[in-house]
Amino acid sequence: MPISLCHSFKGHKDKVWSTSVNPKFPLLATASSDKTCRLYNLNTKQLIEVLDEKTHKKAIRTVDWKPSGDYPILALGSFDATISIWGRENDDYEEYTTTFNTENKSDDWELMAIIEGHENEIKSVSWSCDGEFLSSCSRDKTIWVWECDETNEEFECVSVLQDHTQDVKCCKFHPREILLGSSSYDDTIRLYKQDIYDEDDWCCVSELTGHSGTVWSIDFEKTYNDDKVRLCSCSDDSTVRVWKRLKTIGNSKKEDVPSTLRSEPNSEEWELQQILPEAHERQVYCCSWSPTGKIASVGSDGKIVIYEEDKNNEEWKIRDVHELAHQVAEINSCEWWYNKDEEKEYLITGGDDGIVNIWNID
Amino acid sequence: MSDPINANPTVLDVSQLPSRVTFDKSVNGGNVAAIFQDDDLRDLLSLSLFNGNDDMKEFRVDPDGDVLSMSDPEILSVASSVDGSSSEGENDEDEPIDAQEIFDLVSTISDPEHPLTLGQLAVISLADIKVLNKKAKSEISEVIIKITPTITHCSLATLIGLGIRVRLERCLPPRFRITILVKEGTHQSENQVNKQLNDKERVAAACENEQLLGVISQMLSTCK
Repeated sequence: MPISLCHSFKGHKDKVWSTSVNPKFPLLATASSDKTCRLYNLNTKQLIEVLDEKTHKKAIRTVDWKPSGDYPILALGSFDATISIWGRENDDYEEYTTTFNTENKSDDWELMAIIEGHENEIKSVSWSCDGEFLSSCSRDKTIWVWECDETNEEFECVSVLQDHTQDVKCCKFHPREILLGSSSYDDTIRLYKQDIYDEDDWCCVSELTGHSGTVWSIDFEKTYNDDKVRLCSCSDDSTVRVWKRLKTIGNSKKEDVPSTLRSEPNSEEWELQQILPEAHERQVYCCSWSPTGKIASVGSDGKIVIYEEDKNNEEWKIRDVHELAHQVAEINSCEWWYNKDEEKEYLITGGDDGIVNIWNID
Repeated sequence: MSDPINANPTVLDVSQLPSRVTFDKSVNGGNVAAIFQDDDLRDLLSLSLFNGNDDMKEFRVDPDGDVLSMSDPEILSVASSVDGSSSEGENDEDEPIDAQEIFDLVSTISDPEHPLTLGQLAVISLADIKVLNKKAKSEISEVIIKITPTITHCSLATLIGLGIRVRLERCLPPRFRITILVKEGTHQSENQVNKQLNDKERVAAACENEQLLGVISQMLSTCK
């Protein structure tokens, strides 16, 4: 079935780097080199607010909604090395939910905190599923884990992870488990957890190697049965790969894993499940795992590629390819949006043309 | 300024550099007048990149005249006046962008260290420019440039590469993907330099660094 364009948001004056759909409300946030973040109502497709260009001095690279709490809270990460936290407080939850179907609702968003610490450009931010932690990563080669208080105004750095040897391009928390993944210019993917003996300490539990270029982004599988954890990754080497955590942690059947690793409590075993069928010709900048189990990838070649897994043999296949999805522009981000009312999945992409597109994937 | 990294580079004379006129030598005889004509032609060709290009207008949307923006009113007005006065203007638009045109755009960039251009220092040579031009303007095309640093440990190779990238991103329509590589065996950290020069995120961040931009605009100030 073909991929068809459903809606275009044109408003950013420069590259769109990142988008985020609020898990509770029909809210879309988009981040751009034009130093603004735009908030849209996904029901009416109306612009709700522009988080202004005065807060960040440089491009806004990344955006992520906090998954927990009664009202929407947003984190923005910028090339100016700071993170800003925005929220819409003092709201009646029930009342706020109903406002999304009315037109022209004026909104009042508040800057709640500015977080400083990184030396240079922030590339990615991600909240943990319970909203307790926020992670951020930077060209300074580090990942910082911040603990968030209930007011969303105080953020305390609980750990600085320095395992990567180059820029950290992406950090992402698992949607159900307190497990943090990261990918880097050093071509590797790493996974982190809280130390089982000391929760204030975070440690690297696994390193995934195989990509032969910068790993631009990773995304975890959304379904979570039986501790089954998988992630997809995409890279400068133009491949998309799926990796899985082996069920039996620290008790591997594989001979080639050193025994010292097996007995280590703070370690996980991961293996490559599949390099997905070749579809991209250039750098792949973003990949996203849908709630119903599809994977989408986008990149420099302007293509949207959708992959689907054959449940019988766990073999991934290309389902659809859509060329020149942002005309000749590069595509920087893709993200799935599950519309609960329609029980239907859409894909949201952002490109160098400053446009954010919503796609029908039938 | 500290001691130059390469104090004594080989220098080519400008007349030795490839230009469009060398292909038409039989017609023009390669005399001085022909070179002047060639300059005009070059201007025309490079200016033709700026006008009438619809996808350009759509993509280069930054009103603040950002570094990567094509919306410089001065350039646009020059371009439109050329378009208006020349009946050949429309034909030029249909002419595909070739290696010579890319060479003309980047060979006049100044070396950050010497009062010479990248063409004169043979950092850029016509043979190391490859253009994969798709016929339709709605398709993605590609430019691959290999640069030859004057010495194998040249720490300015990344800066030179960045200057070339900024120049081409400013001048070429957005359908072009630009790949800049250090020529095989000409630099001791070839892979590192290549990786850096082709990382769009690092390039975008570098273009927001005022100090770096200052150096680059100086390098580009000798471009026609």
